[in-house]
Amino acid sequence: MRIADLIGGVVALILGVAVIYFSSQLEYYSEFGPGPGFLPLWVGIIITACAIYVIINLLIKHRITGEFFKPRTKLGLQILITIIITFLVLPLLGFSIGLALFIGVTMRMMGKHRWVPCGLTAIVTAIGIRLIFISWLTIPLPRGLIGW
Amino acid sequence: MELLNNLYTGFSIALTFNNIIYCLVGVLFGQIVGVLPGIGAPTAIALLLPLTYSVNPTSALIMFAGIYYGVAYGGTLTSVLINVPGESSTVMTCVDGYQMALKGRAGAALSVAAIGSFIAGTFSIILLMAFAPALAKFALRFGPPEYFALTAMAFGLLTVFGGEQPIKTIISTMLGLLIATIGLDVVSGMPRFAFGFPQLFGGIDFIVIICGMFGIAEVFSSIEEPEEGELVKSKLQLRDLFLTWEEWIASRWAIVRGGIIGFIVGIIPAGGITTASFLAYLAEKRASKHPELFGHGAIEGVAAPESANNSASISGFAPLLALGVPGSPTTAVMLAGFMMWGIRPGPMLFKTNPDLVWGLISSMYIGNVLLLLINIFLIPAFVVMLRLPYTIIMGFIIVFASVGAYSVNNNFFDVWLMLGFAVLGYLMRKLQYPIVPLVLGLVLGNLSENSLRQALLISGGTFSIFFTRPISLLFVVVAILAYLSPVIRWALKGLRQTKVDTA
Repeated sequence: MRIADLIGGVVALILGVAVIYFSSQLEYYSEFGPGPGFLPLWVGIIITACAIYVIINLLIKHRITGEFFKPRTKLGLQILITIIITFLVLPLLGFSIGLALFIGVTMRMMGKHRWVPCGLTAIVTAIGIRLIFISWLTIPLPRGLIGW
Repeated sequence: MELLNNLYTGFSIALTFNNIIYCLVGVLFGQIVGVLPGIGAPTAIALLLPLTYSVNPTSALIMFAGIYYGVAYGGTLTSVLINVPGESSTVMTCVDGYQMALKGRAGAALSVAAIGSFIAGTFSIILLMAFAPALAKFALRFGPPEYFALTAMAFGLLTVFGGEQPIKTIISTMLGLLIATIGLDVVSGMPRFAFGFPQLFGGIDFIVIICGMFGIAEVFSSIEEPEEGELVKSKLQLRDLFLTWEEWIASRWAIVRGGIIGFIVGIIPAGGITTASFLAYLAEKRASKHPELFGHGAIEGVAAPESANNSASISGFAPLLALGVPGSPTTAVMLAGFMMWGIRPGPMLFKTNPDLVWGLISSMYIGNVLLLLINIFLIPAFVVMLRLPYTIIMGFIIVFASVGAYSVNNNFFDVWLMLGFAVLGYLMRKLQYPIVPLVLGLVLGNLSENSLRQALLISGGTFSIFFTRPISLLFVVVAILAYLSPVIRWALKGLRQTKVDTA
């Protein structure tokens, strides 16, 4: 946990410094009072200062409890990858079929349900999305190559 | 007299068939969201927000408010029956509620929660009706310095109420402010932090961030650490819901105290309903003649926090409506809704949109009655819902979040951005960087920055303007004390320890 927390602190530090750099290129003070760079610069300074405090605190503190990786972290990662794949195929399959497939697959993968309930839930989801979002609420969601 | 007039205006709107249906849908949905783990009020409202674009704002807000206080009722069920809080605001209810359930008094615990919530909620609405217009009138005197000082105070109070590591709370708040600056600067028209992406010129839409950080990030956290509890085996029957005379005597003052504490904490920026329920529980334990019973099924231990969380969820509307400054993540999401409909909450709202304000507030009376009835007669139906597998809930969250993010600008850029924020939110939560400050920083960012710039423009660049105006000075002093609170607490601890050592 200490290492993960340290990485978090370092990321915050880099962000803070980057914000200071980019906001220093914006106008700090203009004739209309403080310019667009005024607040971001101070935000950057505060983030940097806080990040340094977090890092130092982690280095001198002895007892840090908790683990970053938990037994089920892997499952969470698998779901993330499934979501990424789903989002990649959404333009091709359309929202109703793409997201229905996602639900079917994750039910099988995570909940270890049988194929039949997974399939049925997926079909109900596809019809539900089509009817509620596309037909009823008329949100122009992509319908994919199949056009459904 | 004015109060009655407002009440009449309000009810003439809230009691139309359409709005009663929206209210009913809201409270039912809130009750369900409260029962289901891994989805809270801010997420639920954020997921519905993009879908209500074309709905009349008053009706949509009536529904959202119903979700907000409905969640406070629904979360109780899981706390009592399976010792898992459905919502963070019902954490304290687990302590004595579950013990009561083990002793066969689950029904009594649920009904004292429902009755307490109803009484405290109604009391809170009455106070809100009197207090909110007064607050709005007071806020008419606010200029840019006051608004900046107010937002600074809200951010400062977050370090008092949020998380164990105040420094991380500050980083989160700053991150929210930073995200709010992305896009074209309103004063100079210069793009900031857009890095050449034209999609970022208009800024990142709030809905995209909320759907990611509350919706999908919550899914990852729930998968990693599932909250599973065992359902209490005893069967619930209608007659179990009636309180005994002793139970009623024991809980009546707890309801009153909880209601008052809830109302006050709800108004404080960054106070929130969870803090209200914690404080009410602690106060009740201290006030009790037999504190040793707390933790072993004391009915006051259920009545107080439940009354407080409902009361606070209603009083939280006072700063939102009268100042335009939300105090909790849920009211922050509602503020985003106001912006979506092009309505600016604040002192003028009571003049420009009295129908909306009073219709919304009056609908809360109706919503609370509906919830009381639901929680007495429909409990078994919601118990069934506890058996719904998490994979299905998760699927629904992801469907709503992706449709919501897509529909903001009808493009996939926002969908990917939402996923990015989901991963960020998940990692932040894991490393104990609280999310709520980021959200408040984000919604208040523009108000904060614009009022700071206007104030400094008025003063010619000197910061003394924040210290010479009495209201602004008060806010600034509270803000400074709040930021220093970790240091003060640390010093007090040291002082106490040396006293013990010398004694």
